Amino acid sequence: MDGIRIGVHICRGNWSKQEEVLLKGDYARLLPALEPMKIDQFVLEYATPRAGDIDVVGKRLSDRELGLGVVNPRTDEVESVETIVAKAEKALEYYRPEQLFLNTDCGFGCFSSRSVNVEEVAYKKLCAIVEAAKCLRKRYC
Amino acid sequence: MRENKTFQTTQVGSWPRSKELLKMLRGYQKGTVSRADFTAVAENEIRRTVALQEQAGLDIVVDGEHRRESFYAFITEKVAGTKLMSLADMLDFVENKAEFEEMLRTMDMPASAVKNPTCIGKLSRREPLALGDLHFLRTITAKPVKITLPGPYLLTRSMWVGALTRKAYRNHQKMADDIVRILRDELLDLRDAGCDFVQFDEPVLTEVVMSEDCERRTFM
Repeated sequence: MDGIRIGVHICRGNWSKQEEVLLKGDYARLLPALEPMKIDQFVLEYATPRAGDIDVVGKRLSDRELGLGVVNPRTDEVESVETIVAKAEKALEYYRPEQLFLNTDCGFGCFSSRSVNVEEVAYKKLCAIVEAAKCLRKRYC
Repeated sequence: MRENKTFQTTQVGSWPRSKELLKMLRGYQKGTVSRADFTAVAENEIRRTVALQEQAGLDIVVDGEHRRESFYAFITEKVAGTKLMSLADMLDFVENKAEFEEMLRTMDMPASAVKNPTCIGKLSRREPLALGDLHFLRTITAKPVKITLPGPYLLTRSMWVGALTRKAYRNHQKMADDIVRILRDELLDLRDAGCDFVQFDEPVLTEVVMSEDCERRTFM
């Protein structure tokens, strides 16, 4: 559809801070459903190792943009800028800097009465994403 | 649309709710707080959330979904033929109650916190789903904005509760036709209003292929 960017977001659930009860697996089995989608961007959870390897989507979906999940909304520890940069650099093997968006893995409070984080931590995670983007622009643009 | 920006930063949608907002949301849902009073509090929260994103330096901002019960259950406010039900309410309607309770327990999914937009009648837009959110965002920020909407697959899977939905629709497909129509109309409205970016949320896609039991229904 012209005139608007359409994205589809996929994750493995965001209702609990216990990582082990959330789903696990890469995007391979979803590719047949994702490939024909007439959309501009896949917004995908990738900060958690449960999401598997970036090659899975890089090899098949890089004709569209990737909203790369680089921070886990459920953890209290803020991801380091270096970790985020490294994650993005791996994605750069398949995506151009214009195609690569950096975002959280999911929301910080998908269910109103069960936020998975507090505002202070959420804010710091956003700052880390912004810092990483600055670093990447310096290196690659 | 295909601008030359690189490594654009954004977030997926929702923001932690404040105690005050939650209190007002519950009051609004019970009918003890007016829509205007609830909206005023939600808008304050949205202003704060947007200011924080701008302060952090995000390129594309979201409203934090403060008006929403959850990223998909909120549609019960906007779509005719729906009913907001807690998973606890739904226990009476699921085929295997014990199994459902066990699933919630092992998944650490609290039955009272997760609410479902159950389909109980013919579905149609009573009001736009997110057009108002876009208009409000436009009044508080000059940055590009992203609007989030539940995806058609998520809605079809969660809204269908056989015992209640069969009165209105013969099968999932018939209901999905109306869901797709509603989402498409909303997308066109958002585009015509100049929205930069719409994100459809489809978390249950992974459930279908990754949960051991494909028929497992978390209503997430």
